[in-house]
Amino acid sequence: MIIISLIKQVPLPNEMRMGDDGLMDRTKAKSIINIDCQFGLEAGLQLKKHYPDARMIVCSMGPGSFESALKTAISMGYDEAYLLSDRKLGGSDTFATGLAISTMLNHLGFTKDSKEPFVIFAGRQTSDGDTAHVPSQVAENLGIPQATFCESAKPDGKGNIIAKRIIEGGYQMMQLPMPCLISLTPTGIPPRKPSLVGAIKARNSAIKVFGVEDIHLGTEKIGLTGSPTIVAAVANIESERPPIVLSEGTTEAALVNSLIANMKKGGNVLQRKEVKEKAEKEAPDFPVVDTRDNYKHILTWVEIANGQIARPSLELFTPARHLADQLGNDTQIKTVLIGKNVAPLAQTLFEHGADEVILVENDKLEEYLVLPFSDIIAQIIKVQKPEIALFAATTSGRELAPRIAVKTGSGVTADCTGLEIGEYVNRKEKTIIRPILHSRRPTYGESKLATILGFVYPQISTARAGTFEVPAKVEGRTGTISKFKPELSDEDFRARILETVRGGGGLQNLFDAEIIVSGGRGATSDGLKLLKELAEALKEKGLKAEWAVSRAVVDEGYAEYARQIGQTGKTVRPKVYVAIGISGAIQHLAGMKESGTVVAIDHNPKAAIFRNADFGIVGEYEDVVPELIEQVKQGFTFGIVNLFQKNTT
Amino acid sequence: MSDTNIVSTDVLIVGAGPSGLATAIHLADLLKKSDMKHRILLVEKGNTVGSHILSGAVIRPEILKELLPEVDFNEFPLNAKVTKDALLLLSESGSIQSPIHPPYMSNKGNYTASLSQLCRFLATKAEEKGVEIYPGFAVSEVLYDEKGKIRGAKTIDTGVDHHGKPLENFQPGTEIEAKITVFAEGTRGSLVKTVIDKFDLQKGKNPQVYSLGCKEIWSVPEGNIAAGEVYHTMGYPLNLHEFGGGFIYGLNDNKAAVGMVVGLDTADPTFDVHAAFQVWKTHPSVAKILKGGKLLEYGAKSLPEGGYYSVPKLYVDNALIVGDSGGFLIMPALKGIHLGIRSGMLAAETALSAFTQNDFSEKTLKAYETKIINSHIYKEMYPVRNFRQAFAKGMVTGAFMFGTQLITGGAGFAGKVGVHTDADATQKLKDFSGKPFKKRFAGKLDFDKVLTFDKVTDIFYSGAHHDEEQVVHLRVNNPATFNPVNIEQYDAPCQYFCPAEVYEIHTDRNGHRELRIHGENCVHCKTCDIKEPGDGITWMAPNGGNGPEYQNM
Repeated sequence: MIIISLIKQVPLPNEMRMGDDGLMDRTKAKSIINIDCQFGLEAGLQLKKHYPDARMIVCSMGPGSFESALKTAISMGYDEAYLLSDRKLGGSDTFATGLAISTMLNHLGFTKDSKEPFVIFAGRQTSDGDTAHVPSQVAENLGIPQATFCESAKPDGKGNIIAKRIIEGGYQMMQLPMPCLISLTPTGIPPRKPSLVGAIKARNSAIKVFGVEDIHLGTEKIGLTGSPTIVAAVANIESERPPIVLSEGTTEAALVNSLIANMKKGGNVLQRKEVKEKAEKEAPDFPVVDTRDNYKHILTWVEIANGQIARPSLELFTPARHLADQLGNDTQIKTVLIGKNVAPLAQTLFEHGADEVILVENDKLEEYLVLPFSDIIAQIIKVQKPEIALFAATTSGRELAPRIAVKTGSGVTADCTGLEIGEYVNRKEKTIIRPILHSRRPTYGESKLATILGFVYPQISTARAGTFEVPAKVEGRTGTISKFKPELSDEDFRARILETVRGGGGLQNLFDAEIIVSGGRGATSDGLKLLKELAEALKEKGLKAEWAVSRAVVDEGYAEYARQIGQTGKTVRPKVYVAIGISGAIQHLAGMKESGTVVAIDHNPKAAIFRNADFGIVGEYEDVVPELIEQVKQGFTFGIVNLFQKNTT
Repeated sequence: MSDTNIVSTDVLIVGAGPSGLATAIHLADLLKKSDMKHRILLVEKGNTVGSHILSGAVIRPEILKELLPEVDFNEFPLNAKVTKDALLLLSESGSIQSPIHPPYMSNKGNYTASLSQLCRFLATKAEEKGVEIYPGFAVSEVLYDEKGKIRGAKTIDTGVDHHGKPLENFQPGTEIEAKITVFAEGTRGSLVKTVIDKFDLQKGKNPQVYSLGCKEIWSVPEGNIAAGEVYHTMGYPLNLHEFGGGFIYGLNDNKAAVGMVVGLDTADPTFDVHAAFQVWKTHPSVAKILKGGKLLEYGAKSLPEGGYYSVPKLYVDNALIVGDSGGFLIMPALKGIHLGIRSGMLAAETALSAFTQNDFSEKTLKAYETKIINSHIYKEMYPVRNFRQAFAKGMVTGAFMFGTQLITGGAGFAGKVGVHTDADATQKLKDFSGKPFKKRFAGKLDFDKVLTFDKVTDIFYSGAHHDEEQVVHLRVNNPATFNPVNIEQYDAPCQYFCPAEVYEIHTDRNGHRELRIHGENCVHCKTCDIKEPGDGITWMAPNGGNGPEYQNM
């Protein structure tokens, strides 16, 4: 048995501070092992409990400074460490990274036909890249099954790994034969601290460093020039929230009264710096080339969960239609619909904007599985030759798209919040490529907006859920249905779903709520009783109120997954968001930062949530919330005007 | 526990401060000279070497040349050479420069420095000499053999819940077995404290007494203070019963270190050193230096200042005590770094003879004490042996007594002057006849977050952090009496003296008061262990790598 962990070293997220120039100062930030990767390391060590003699290997790719991360892994309990480090890899995108890492694993003797079973652990995504692509791409390159976004991985004693995979609104238990790859979310078992014996071992171990030639990796598909995508532009995302107004007072009553007064008065106003109009760059007089050959149309995939169309898949029609309009030339939206008896859903897709539905029906395809679905869609792409393929950035879309992209040789842009057609001025070749997809995505802890271009067709992007509106339904709009018969093998069904659990309600209500009362680890000492009471009190006042929680709370078993904010790719946008006992992990902030007004209550004044809120109370929630409930009962509604109960002052 | 979790070394040094590093460096040198090979292993609870190191600091550099004679002096990361050295006597609004600079306070030829940077430098030198340094590991327990002799120490178990119950990511601590264990834990070391108790090492000595120092580093506009300018202040905001003062050191690159050190024997149970420090900064003589500047870093540390008579017995079988853990500090000059380094070097010499004789018992190790008495440490500490005790009676009496001590060579008119522990010096609210701290400084305790800062803001600048999953590293020793005595009679001094807002007294709707501990804020100054009445609180080492993250302290 061999347990392999893939890790990346990243700047410490909460140490990334804005410099005086407003730019993220990454030079001063300390480096750590990416948090998700730390959970991967721990998952590997947990699996070792079942295989005490397992060989423990840790691998990374990056500059020589990454050795310190590998040494830390050894001090936690790993035995061997390998680093792929070569200047030629500089500027590699996720596609090139996945290729390089899998080539190194091949070189170390790990292939899908390896005699000795192995399990590869990886982090779900990195805090500086945030794509979640590499694990899927490594698995696809190696040709092994995968389970991404997992919380745990245990052996079943029959040579399989049972992984708990987090999905929207619930989880799935998956059974994977070895070899396989598991990516871990930071809700699993927290990483252990290094032991002193481990640190001594790390000090005395040599880390094997490979260059690209050592592993026989050609340079044509790696580095800046070999990567199918490039970062064309990076813009700062200005803080969207002005500094917080904190309540003052020495008693809970005073603090809450101060909050009410502050909210009446209104919060601070953001001083936006004048953005200097950049002089429109003189467009060079290069010939315009259209590199699409015969690639045409936009492909989307619609995700079916519980027999229903997942909302984020419908949201996709908004950017898809926008791009089709920009492209003109009769560009159509072709939507892939895979499942068991799903044909009746096609009409809904037409009504939201699909021009053609490519239907794949098969009883074995009732539930989404990455292996057959990626095979099918890749086959469809081969036939259809779309210029753009869009996926919702759900837990499925974010593993499916990169796996397909490896098959088509494309790059993928993850978790986009903006999709536009534009051009690319290639100064080296003296050409202008037009049209080309500009995929915009937040990165570096949501502080930058990067524009990514892909040069291999189809250009593949995933769109962040909750970012685009679902386009209005056009009753009676129709389109064509074309059936597709994919070639599937037993290999596609090597990994199985043992059980799917989805919580009732929650998710949908959170999207619709006008006020969300959200609790973190710091609001659990009464088992969320006060949190629920506050939400209930608001409901009684006629508000569309709902309660939600952070990851940590779900992790501790106080609430179901459906109520979790800050899960990958989920964004809620209520008018008011009340964060109670939430420290403000970056994933959580990403999930709620588009809320109208944010009110934060926490005992720790250093909590990041206070830097991302409009109003705040520093105090123990057990003391503050009862006071707040009292005030709500007397008519305080966080400034939300209730249309049904006007003038009830 | 399996044998795989045991490490054997010849020398274990606990703590990578100046004294521990000096022990390591000097011993490595001595062993090399004698053609001997022995393993020296040093563990440090800070995330990196220097993370938990704080000092003023103005350093006497000669000792560094002695410790590392091969190093070019310019290589030492010292800051500016002292160019101006003045003592200011502050009244509430004015100040006069003291015409006479008291003896023992002269800083001629000294350098300002960041001790955390200096320790990082010493650590690289030690590593070059073959010393193994492991930062990020806290030792939580002294190991004893079947005869009750020290045989090493154990790192803390990690991956446990608040009650110490192992979680799934449990990582048992590593047992470090050593022929000699050197305790260099700094002030009020949590392990050395148990060793001193177990072997009664304070017997026949004064109890150790302490000061608490709060320090900030600022970047200031050009011209506010020149690098190398050194000011000490006496007087405001302290009164004649309170022992202490402020310091302002000009550093290179338009930076300034400012701080205040106050004896922890204050009678007022509500005395707040951090707040006094903030009030001190508003004094015109201080404020003008910080005007237009920006806070960069904050930290706090306690200092052992009992002096000669408070130094415990420094050796037992298989173990030595060095540096602040031993109380090596000369209070009149506020200097301990060179003594700490010296004590480390002498401990190294003692260890060498132990290896030569292959005997690690008290018989061999007691040579350490002789070496100290024959060294500069004694020469510097003995003449001022009654200094701090004198000032325990107030600044006026103290100045008089210290004056007589200077004439009589340290004895004054009373031989050995006794002293109470700082916790015992604290009075109950009803017994305290002076004006309580908050009344004294009414109207001055609203901090503007420009010049003055509340504790919570300051702590942000210390970089303090602690793992969530671990046993709270601060233990209330007398939960039954804490409410009726410490809270009701003393008004819970911890909520005031703690410079990091670790302790909060919460009052509920019914007026019931209870203590809440925010261990995550702790900057490891250990004042709570020293000052809380009735031995109310014990400070224990949290997980390794936790605590403040000092860069330039």
